[in-house]
Amino acid sequence: MIVLLFTALGLVQQPAPRTIAIDERLAADAGISIGDRVIVSTRPNAKGGDTVVVSGIVKRGADPSEIARSEYKIRMHLDQLQSLAGYGDRVDRFAVATRDKAATESALAAINAAAFGFEAHRSRDIAVGTSKTFQVVSRFHKAIGLITIVASAIFLLCVMLLKVEERRRDVAALRLMGISRTTVVKAVVAEAALLALVGSALGIGIGWAASQFINWYYQGVYRTPLHFSVITADIVTLAVTLSLVLGIGAGLLASLRLVRTPPLALFGR
Amino acid sequence: MTLAREKAVFSWAGYDDEAPPPVVEARDLARDYPFGAERVHALRGVTFAITEGEYIAIAGPSGCGKSTLLNLIGVIDHPTRGEVCIRGQNVGGMRDREATAFRLRNIGFVFQRFYLMPTLSARENVELPMAEAGIARVERAARARELLSYVGLEARERHRPAQLSGGEQQRVAIARALANRPAILLADEPTGELDAKTGAEIIGLFGRLNADGTTVIVVTHDEDLASSAHRKIHMRDGVIVPG
Repeated sequence: MIVLLFTALGLVQQPAPRTIAIDERLAADAGISIGDRVIVSTRPNAKGGDTVVVSGIVKRGADPSEIARSEYKIRMHLDQLQSLAGYGDRVDRFAVATRDKAATESALAAINAAAFGFEAHRSRDIAVGTSKTFQVVSRFHKAIGLITIVASAIFLLCVMLLKVEERRRDVAALRLMGISRTTVVKAVVAEAALLALVGSALGIGIGWAASQFINWYYQGVYRTPLHFSVITADIVTLAVTLSLVLGIGAGLLASLRLVRTPPLALFGR
Repeated sequence: MTLAREKAVFSWAGYDDEAPPPVVEARDLARDYPFGAERVHALRGVTFAITEGEYIAIAGPSGCGKSTLLNLIGVIDHPTRGEVCIRGQNVGGMRDREATAFRLRNIGFVFQRFYLMPTLSARENVELPMAEAGIARVERAARARELLSYVGLEARERHRPAQLSGGEQQRVAIARALANRPAILLADEPTGELDAKTGAEIIGLFGRLNADGTTVIVVTHDEDLASSAHRKIHMRDGVIVPG
């Protein structure tokens, strides 16, 4: 009786619209906020479609493979998606979250054995497969890094040779005063090591600032939280170690060249 | 203020026991340099002796062999012929390592262009030869202060060379040369880069140093400096000539 009464009065509640979540890029581009009603359909401008309420805006994940794709993503309830797509109880791909490694192995075995045409892969294997492009890019980066190191080593050696050349007469005076070759070599090498340390500290500072700028710029361009440039502790350690080794090597070469020259020749006599 | 000098006792064959022993002795000293296919005779058999406490000026025109003689006395170069002894030790045939150690403890050099280390303070510059000689930090700091005070720069010990005038820099260089209490102080044109007034101050300082017991040998074109010495060695064409 009560239901009928409500029907007659037009007060029967319509089922509440289903909810969806959209990604922040779509929300920004379309000017959609939480609580807005939108129509979702499988094709643009298609008749029909479901009216849904936006109940969440999702931050995009830091996935390198999605950077170049200009796609929007929405998340909706599975039954609604099935009905909207007309796929019924059918999916092309689905993900299974497992508790541990053993569960992963058993899920893999169960899915692969379920029927012909079913293929299950670990997410790690898929990541490796889709990262091949990045591996090639990474090799290019390493090659560029190697060339930079060789160029820096030559530059450092030239700087040290020039610095030492500037001091020929000072070193000659030191040698005449009785300062030994060993002391001169130690002093030049210590200076070179200090120069290398200061240089690497400056380099790390500049690298960090450049990295911040690159991340700020490309995160804006691609609207992603992905970090395009990262300076890790390993990178810092490698840079300082390389710099020190190269600096000491350059200092040693330059100073040995200097102390092998007789003091009078250094004075130009 | 006077510098404490360490008087050593030497036995010198052929010298009168009453006379002060020679601190530098050159016998038939010659030095040739190859010049293309020819040989240049920079020094052609020089013999002389300098006793402890003397003040000697080596003078003569350019190319007469003054600097070659200074190099040989300073154990920087090897003679082609003859021998040079300092404090009785023949230094002509010393190898580089031995010569370097000898110079450190026995010879103080003063150059025309000072050659102070630009990144070190005046005191640190004076301490440099003492540090090389292994003198303890406290002792060398005290000695450096004493020397800087002697040359009138006690108030400038923390200044770097760039903050000092030419005359002050030369005085620091002189203090540095005296750091290890050398047997002789060798100066090569020490007033060459200075104006007349500052040059006169340096000449006065050399005179005071000598009066306090330091053996001073200067090579110079400066007549005032040469005149301040007790004895002049005039050179021409690689030999000593009467003045």
